[in-house]
Amino acid sequence: MSVLKSWDINLRQSEKKTLFLFFILYLFFVLLILLFISLTYYNLQKDLMLKDKRAYMSSLAKHQIEGLKYLHANFDKLRIYPRDKRYKSAIYDSTYVKIFSLLDNENVNLNEDIYLTGNKIHFIKEPESYYLGTKYVVIEIDDDGIWKKKTYRELFIYGTLFLIISLIIGYILMLLILRPMRDAISLLDRFIKDTTHELNTPVNTILSNIEITEDTKLDPKILKRLNRIKIGAKTISNLYQDLIYLTLDEKVVSKDEKIDLKNLLKERIEYFSLFFETKKISVNLDLNEGVYLFIDRKKITKLIDNLISNAIKYNRVRGTVEIVLREGYFYIKDTGRGIEKDKINTLFERYERVDKSVGGFGIGLSIVSKISKEYNLKVKIESQFKKWTKVSVSW
Amino acid sequence: MVKGLVVFLLFVSLEASVYTENCIPCHRKLPVSIDKFFYRYLLKYSSEIETKFAIKEYLKNPKREDSVLNEALLKRFGVKKRSKLTDRELDSAIDEYWEKYKVFGKLK
Repeated sequence: MSVLKSWDINLRQSEKKTLFLFFILYLFFVLLILLFISLTYYNLQKDLMLKDKRAYMSSLAKHQIEGLKYLHANFDKLRIYPRDKRYKSAIYDSTYVKIFSLLDNENVNLNEDIYLTGNKIHFIKEPESYYLGTKYVVIEIDDDGIWKKKTYRELFIYGTLFLIISLIIGYILMLLILRPMRDAISLLDRFIKDTTHELNTPVNTILSNIEITEDTKLDPKILKRLNRIKIGAKTISNLYQDLIYLTLDEKVVSKDEKIDLKNLLKERIEYFSLFFETKKISVNLDLNEGVYLFIDRKKITKLIDNLISNAIKYNRVRGTVEIVLREGYFYIKDTGRGIEKDKINTLFERYERVDKSVGGFGIGLSIVSKISKEYNLKVKIESQFKKWTKVSVSW
Repeated sequence: MVKGLVVFLLFVSLEASVYTENCIPCHRKLPVSIDKFFYRYLLKYSSEIETKFAIKEYLKNPKREDSVLNEALLKRFGVKKRSKLTDRELDSAIDEYWEKYKVFGKLK
């Protein structure tokens, strides 16, 4: 027994959406964490820089207070505010009213000790006495910004590393989430492959023997029974072909050729004639001459077979199948049970069956979808629940 | 009529303020000038509101422990007597005192 292996993951749209949402949510939290870490690191580096400057600025403040003390004692003779090239300064009273300022950046926070404002560092010192009414002395120096450049560079390097590692972890997590899904699908695939593969030889034997037997003169009753056997065998044969197409044929390079669609549609109607007879379904054909498609014969046959097969399967007894072929499109319309509006979108998903009362694996329209995507064919499904379904294929 | 009004305005403008009449004469007798008192208040109270409030409270109810004078001067001149000025007059005198010696706008 040979087993056809396929490791492809066939994810449904909703599952893809869930995975996408998971990924977005994961990315959002990763970025949030990264932002939080970056801000913390930035503030830490800033605090370290300010800590380094504190002692130096404190000595500058002491120097300034000495100047103020002297000015206070001699204010009747001297009115020049003490200045120094190394820093700028300002003085404020106890109600935060500015007494005098030489600051470049007037954005002062007297409740802080040392802080960064723009590209300036402010240091606040309270003198032991309120010289000239001064409760707060503000010392201002330039921030050279070296620490900032270093921090940005480190944040970029470590942030990128963190992001890459997080994305790898995210990918591994996604694979772990996908694993049960992948296992379930591959199990189903393998089961179908194994079973169907074993069906091929007996089904072909049955069909070829029926054809040989049909040539001999038979009792009508036996012929009727033989037809039933033929329908059953053909159904199995179609299903086999569909499954083989999904597992193997879709990977084979197409042999495209000019196909006369009128002839092909007639040929396929003929192929399904017994099915139509059994269900007493009448076929209305309106096929224009000279409509061609450049396509692989096997694939367009598979597409048409699936659509006709559905039109028969989901039709009512004594129903009608209408097949119209025009330049640029053809459609197949049945008088079956129809499809509810909300279920139309899920029809092309593998193993999806709208009506579970009829046998099948739910792979027919998945094959139609694959072929139509490969050849840019547009498949449109219209339906009126409990009345009719119309499948149009345009190009 | 107009002449009378001009004379009246001149009289009002020349009229001595509460500060000039009630503060300066007494302080002239002290070896410490009145501006030194101001800077001592400033050194202790910092802001305009607190300084004015402290001066007013002291003038209304002088206490040794509230004085900005040092011990030596206090021993020599003692604590001043309670002011007989009204609150309004005190406010006017203190405002003038503040305006005259405040630091704001005087630093270069």
